[in-house]
Amino acid sequence: MSSIKETFTQISPSEFFYRNRDLAGFSNPTRSLYTSVREFVENALDACDQKGILPDVHLTIKAVDPEQPDPKSYILSVKDNGPGIESKHIPLAFGTVLYGSKFGLKQARGMFGLGATMAILYGQITTNKPVTVKSCADGKTQDEFVMLLDIQKNKPIIQKHTTKEASKTGLLVSIVLEGDYSKAGIKIRDYVAQTSLITPYASITFEDPSGEKSHYPRIVKDMPPPPTIIKPHPHGIDVETIRRMMVDTHYQIPVVDNKMITKVRSELGLQKKNPNSKTILEKAQKKWSGLSRPVRIVIAMISFLDMDFEQLSKIRIDDLDIPNKKLTYWNFGDSQSHVIELDPETPYYKQLANTVAGDTLHTFLTRRFQRVGPTTADKFAEFTKFKPEKRIGSMTNEDLVRLADSLQKFEEFLSPDPSCLAPLGEEPLSKGIMKFFNPEFASVIQRSASAYSGFPFIVEMGIAYGGDIPPRGLQVYRFANRIPLLYDEGSDVVLKVVNEVDWTRYKVKGDPPLVIVSHICSTRIPYKTVGKENVADRPEIERELKNALQYLARKLAVHMSRQGMADMAKKRANLYSKYIPLIAQFSTELSGNKKEPNYKQLIVKGSEIEEQV
Amino acid sequence: MKNKSKQAKTVEAKKQELLSILKNKGQIVYNELNNGTFPQFSIPSRSVSNIVYDKKLRQYILGKAAAVRSARNMSQLRSFTQLAWLAFFVNRLVNEGKTSTLRDIYYSSQAFEIDFEDQPESDNIIVDLEAILTRAREDFHVFPEERSSVFGNLTIEYTVPGYEGKRMNLSDHPDGYLIGPSLSSAELVDTDAELVIAIEKGGLFTRFVEEKVHKKFKAIIVDTAGQAPRSTRYFLKRLSTELGLPVVILADGDVYGEHIAMVIKSGSANAAHLRELTVPDAKWLGVWATDIEKYKLPTIPMTESDIKRIYELQRDPRYQEGNWKTQLEVFLKLKRKAELEAFSKYGLTNITDKYLPEKLELAKSL
Repeated sequence: MSSIKETFTQISPSEFFYRNRDLAGFSNPTRSLYTSVREFVENALDACDQKGILPDVHLTIKAVDPEQPDPKSYILSVKDNGPGIESKHIPLAFGTVLYGSKFGLKQARGMFGLGATMAILYGQITTNKPVTVKSCADGKTQDEFVMLLDIQKNKPIIQKHTTKEASKTGLLVSIVLEGDYSKAGIKIRDYVAQTSLITPYASITFEDPSGEKSHYPRIVKDMPPPPTIIKPHPHGIDVETIRRMMVDTHYQIPVVDNKMITKVRSELGLQKKNPNSKTILEKAQKKWSGLSRPVRIVIAMISFLDMDFEQLSKIRIDDLDIPNKKLTYWNFGDSQSHVIELDPETPYYKQLANTVAGDTLHTFLTRRFQRVGPTTADKFAEFTKFKPEKRIGSMTNEDLVRLADSLQKFEEFLSPDPSCLAPLGEEPLSKGIMKFFNPEFASVIQRSASAYSGFPFIVEMGIAYGGDIPPRGLQVYRFANRIPLLYDEGSDVVLKVVNEVDWTRYKVKGDPPLVIVSHICSTRIPYKTVGKENVADRPEIERELKNALQYLARKLAVHMSRQGMADMAKKRANLYSKYIPLIAQFSTELSGNKKEPNYKQLIVKGSEIEEQV
Repeated sequence: MKNKSKQAKTVEAKKQELLSILKNKGQIVYNELNNGTFPQFSIPSRSVSNIVYDKKLRQYILGKAAAVRSARNMSQLRSFTQLAWLAFFVNRLVNEGKTSTLRDIYYSSQAFEIDFEDQPESDNIIVDLEAILTRAREDFHVFPEERSSVFGNLTIEYTVPGYEGKRMNLSDHPDGYLIGPSLSSAELVDTDAELVIAIEKGGLFTRFVEEKVHKKFKAIIVDTAGQAPRSTRYFLKRLSTELGLPVVILADGDVYGEHIAMVIKSGSANAAHLRELTVPDAKWLGVWATDIEKYKLPTIPMTESDIKRIYELQRDPRYQEGNWKTQLEVFLKLKRKAELEAFSKYGLTNITDKYLPEKLELAKSL
């Protein structure tokens, strides 16, 4: 081991995903075709959801050469009527990995738009064909891009860019990829059908390689209210997130570029072309009270580094380590990193320290998190033994770990705000189920919001029985954030909960015509795998699922016993009208009477007898 | 020569009595239907807890428990209808002097849309009717398929339609006569026999006929063909009561043989709802457990189920005393059994020449 000399090279995100494509669901032609369909359809629906547009999605899969045996090249196109993407963003959005607008905390089908780029990448790897994107964002012009992705450099290579007039907004993405439709077809059809069930406000059309079209019309005309973007909940925070939140403040160390230098010059009223550091500092002292904060910071830096504007523009501040009183910077001139000691006695030290130290703990908590007020912030500070006025930036690594740990452990935070969630709602879900299964009985429930590890979630569930549902035993349709989950169902928490139910208690026997539709909405669904197919069994989610299921099962039981009573009455009526006349016939001959007795009233009576319990 | 007219009267009287019960039951159901109330039958319970041994009658009888079968109860409606149909059907049988079998009943029901699931279900309804009417199914002309035989100098006179008044002697045919419906209902006219020998096996029945046992011992020989069917027990009963003949029984030397004798003597639990199927004075001649040693009979070892059966019978109130009890104990001690054929070891006629006379002599003192 030790004799092998290891070399470390940086790889681009594109290359990273290329090397780890199994993780994202691109392990073989069958799975890859299915995953690509999913990613594009979900992106289309998400785009429409965000702008409140009733989605109209067209999915087409065509074989490049239908005569070839599977696996072979397919053209996969998804067209939507969403907001489109502005022309200038298209190359980056579809030609690089990790570009996307889906940051922020709210419920969406996918995150970061990563999956779509993965599909494009996979298509390019397997067929060496570019991706075609047609987008119209303003309802007037449509941009068409044909692009390849430079995997090593993580950069788009635009092969063609044309524009033409258009009348409607929307986006069309088309890729060529290696796939196996003969195997993936069933799952893709299921996926499209189930998506229409959980997205009853969408119209979805699927044209398969044989040219056959399946159309799922819009069932409800109202869109569920869109989710809002909200601040994070303290329970869902880790050290890395706190670091990012700190960097992302107003008190960043400004970049000293030409714009900044001009600003400093004008505030100081400097006329000289190249003033040295001493001149700058002298001027600054005189005008200090009138200086803006960023300018004061630049002055403080000049003081410590003893540099003029020229020199300052050639360095980059990498780290300001207040606890250890050290400043690290990168000099582009000699391409080296330098560290200098900071003298805490100079008047500029405090200016610099306060800047990077950022918010006090108290302000950090109340401003940057959801549902934390001044009282809770004080209580929390007491809980952590940090002073409320301690500045976040002055915390050591150990302090931050302790802070993150305490944020998760402190129990007096209010439960997470569910306004960032977008459940479908009972009525659309019910309509979707009625239309999809045409059952004799259906019931739905939306549970109130709950949370696990600081992430809010809502469970919606529906049950359907009889009617057009085949009596083949219980079927479970699982959804998470309006995505159908089709693979790996064995280890899913929903199935675990469903399988624990003793259905005979609810008057359901044998192989019933029974369907359960489960929908979990959350800002973060705890998937077990990257492939996003099964939900892990968090106790909080399990409890909500159980409660929802019990409620629905009881409703079903009421229906079943009503149904059972109606069936029984019918059966009784049949039995009495069959047997009473026979008894009359026999007793007539037996007793030697000529006429049959008048038994009609007994048949009526018989069918009316209440079942004795 | 027995009193012929008295016999004829008995048969006819029994028939009229049965017909009147049936008519009565039918009228009750008819009236209830007319009044808009659900008809019902009360059926003596045949569950184990309701079967008790009556020492006076010397047979098993049903206790007082009874179950109501009502047309009001949906789960009983079908079986109530089946019962009504059966009463209607046997009424026709008896009126028209026709007979039927258990199997025939099962198939006949189909013509009336009375759907019995299988023959056991229809057999069960027949037993229900027996219990309601307190009459054996033979009385209402329903017979089992299984038949046993009889041979001996006995003259009978048929009462079945088409044969009324025709007489026959039961020693005319060496294979014996089947104890079927016509024989069961025939009048027993004349005999010179002084004894009835019931024997478990057809093979020995034939041997007995060949050896002219009926002449040597002035006997009527009955083949019970294993556990005696009810028609056979009924016939034995008639031979015993109407002709005043003593009945002796020969069965295999094992626990089942002993019980065959017991059932002829005091009935079975299955027929606890019926009388007139027992011959309380019948005597079990053998083969006893003690005979096995005495006659040095070749034996075979008992099986597990043989031994289990001994323990079961030891709990039966009828096996609590006398020879019945003794023989069970000896069987249990020997753990071996012998068949009637075992006597062949000492010659084919050994059983009729030696064993039978000795046992008959002994039986006189029993």
